[in-house]
Amino acid sequence: MSDMTDAAMNAHVSAEQATTILHAEGLCKRYKLGKENFVDALRGATLDIRRGEMAAIMGPSGSGKSTFMHIAGCLDAPDDGEVWMDGRRIDTLRGADLVRVRRESIGFIFQGFNLIPTLSAEENVALAAEYAGLSRRDSLERGRELLGVVGLGDRMRHVPSELSGGQQQRVAIARALVNDPAIVMGDEPTGDLDTATSAEIVTMMREINTSRGTTFVIVTHNPEVAVACDRTIVMRDGVVADSGEDAGAQSDGNPS
Amino acid sequence: MRTLRNIFRRRMRAFLTISGIAIGVFALVVMGSIAEKLTLLVDGGVDYYQGKVVIVPSADSATSLGMLPIDKQRDIERVHGVRAVSAEISARLSTETVTVSFGPLPSVTGSDGKGDPYETFKITYSAGRALRPTENGKVVVGSDLVKKLDAKVGGTVLIRKKRYEVVGIMGKTLTAPDSAVYMTLSDAQQIAADDLPELVRDSVSANKIVSDFAVYPEPGVLPSVLAASIKRKVEGVDAYTAADFEKQIKAPLQIFTTIIYAIGAISLLVGGLSVINTMTMSVSERTREIGIRKAIGASDAQIMGQFVLESAVIGLLGGLGGIVLGTAVAGIGNAAGAASGQAVFLVTTRLMISSVAFAVFLGVVSGFYPAWHAARLNPVAALRYE
Repeated sequence: MSDMTDAAMNAHVSAEQATTILHAEGLCKRYKLGKENFVDALRGATLDIRRGEMAAIMGPSGSGKSTFMHIAGCLDAPDDGEVWMDGRRIDTLRGADLVRVRRESIGFIFQGFNLIPTLSAEENVALAAEYAGLSRRDSLERGRELLGVVGLGDRMRHVPSELSGGQQQRVAIARALVNDPAIVMGDEPTGDLDTATSAEIVTMMREINTSRGTTFVIVTHNPEVAVACDRTIVMRDGVVADSGEDAGAQSDGNPS
Repeated sequence: MRTLRNIFRRRMRAFLTISGIAIGVFALVVMGSIAEKLTLLVDGGVDYYQGKVVIVPSADSATSLGMLPIDKQRDIERVHGVRAVSAEISARLSTETVTVSFGPLPSVTGSDGKGDPYETFKITYSAGRALRPTENGKVVVGSDLVKKLDAKVGGTVLIRKKRYEVVGIMGKTLTAPDSAVYMTLSDAQQIAADDLPELVRDSVSANKIVSDFAVYPEPGVLPSVLAASIKRKVEGVDAYTAADFEKQIKAPLQIFTTIIYAIGAISLLVGGLSVINTMTMSVSERTREIGIRKAIGASDAQIMGQFVLESAVIGLLGGLGGIVLGTAVAGIGNAAGAASGQAVFLVTTRLMISSVAFAVFLGVVSGFYPAWHAARLNPVAALRYE
């Protein structure tokens, strides 16, 4: 990563800034399992996510989908490679700077819903806003507003154990949206849901994607989820095997 | 609110941990209240001695029986720098044997009142008035003895098989007068004479004995200087000032109170260890939740703050519980002691505040390591944790 490449990369980014929200290049990540035992989760994955798209990432277990998502979501740092978000390099960030990007630009939706069991629906949503620095009262107001968006206006004071799986996942979607992130990362968001509820959740994400322009990146095993997305990225053995760009779409990632 | 919900997620564990702190604070409050009582007693004693010299029989005059002949009053009055001399005599209120005692035993005290105009230790009266030095058969009663003697102004009290009329009840001084009955010198001399060994009782006339003299110096005369010259000029007496009293009583008392507080603090420390244990368990149970919190934007400092706050609240709740428990027990103890005129415990505001503050501080310190551990968790690993 010489100055030359940095400069070149900056030029590249400014050219594509308008359309590329996330650019990952040559990501490598090795996890140690034991003393001499390790696994290369990523081996040079390169991927662009366009602003406003809804992309699915598929691939067998161990293909590096989740690791890619964790690194792109600022939860983890790559051993090698670069990640640019909104024209800003984020893989080199540490500590408070990383937390700031995570809370301001990224929303997460997980397979197991991952709500805080002691907090009501509105408190769960508000918590993310509170961490971002909003006052308790403003956070709750914002939380209620977003619960309305996901159609849970009448369940705001219920704790997660009083909600169905679909309802819990909708709370999680509201929470992911509360800080108006550039990208929402979904890690198997329909993995714990039945087919009907699963379709409901995908439809909801699609609606939000359309109405708010929020970019969605969804790791999934479910082909029906993938079909509902704009494109399906396939990962295998730690690299992007298929970026999902059809022959019809423009190959330079600059549609219309 | 949210903090409380988190703490009481595991009700039994929270209750036990808080109880641990509460018991520690309870020990600190109860033991501390004994120390407070003694400290104020001694501070009061120092106040009482302030500005005067107290003359007692010298330690080497083995024949004195703890008494001084009243003739010495004239000798002392003649010493240069003496303004007034009060003759005083004290005896135990009752002849019951008391094996364990905190602070002064209930007593009767008589004075000829000659130094009263110069006295700086002011006594207030919650009812009635002061006793005049000539009013034989009348008494004023210290606040801790009201219940024991069933005293009220205008009524009578029974002391050593004799009835005395109560003319006043003293306000609380937190020191010796609280457990004393004040009467005239000659009334008290009669009681003191009864206490003398039979062999000498007949050879001593009651109105010739006193137990001490309170000497009031002329303005500008230092009590310590006057004490030295009285010792030089009057035979068979020792002279004490406030400084001597402090030296003799306060230093050992300080050791005593230090030990008492140390014991209380140790029991609280044990409570602190259980907080560390609880918080460590709580952090490991909530590993996944910590991962979620980090994923939705919590900084390390925010995670740390959350757990330290939980720990501090455990300390606070335990502290408040301990105060309630300790105050109740001290109250019950004092009520039981009131019958014998002994209030052993004194729960002061400063004791309560410092006990709770210590408990909260301990909570914060105990929560620090588990909270730090929580804050440092890797979010990816924490999210995978089952």
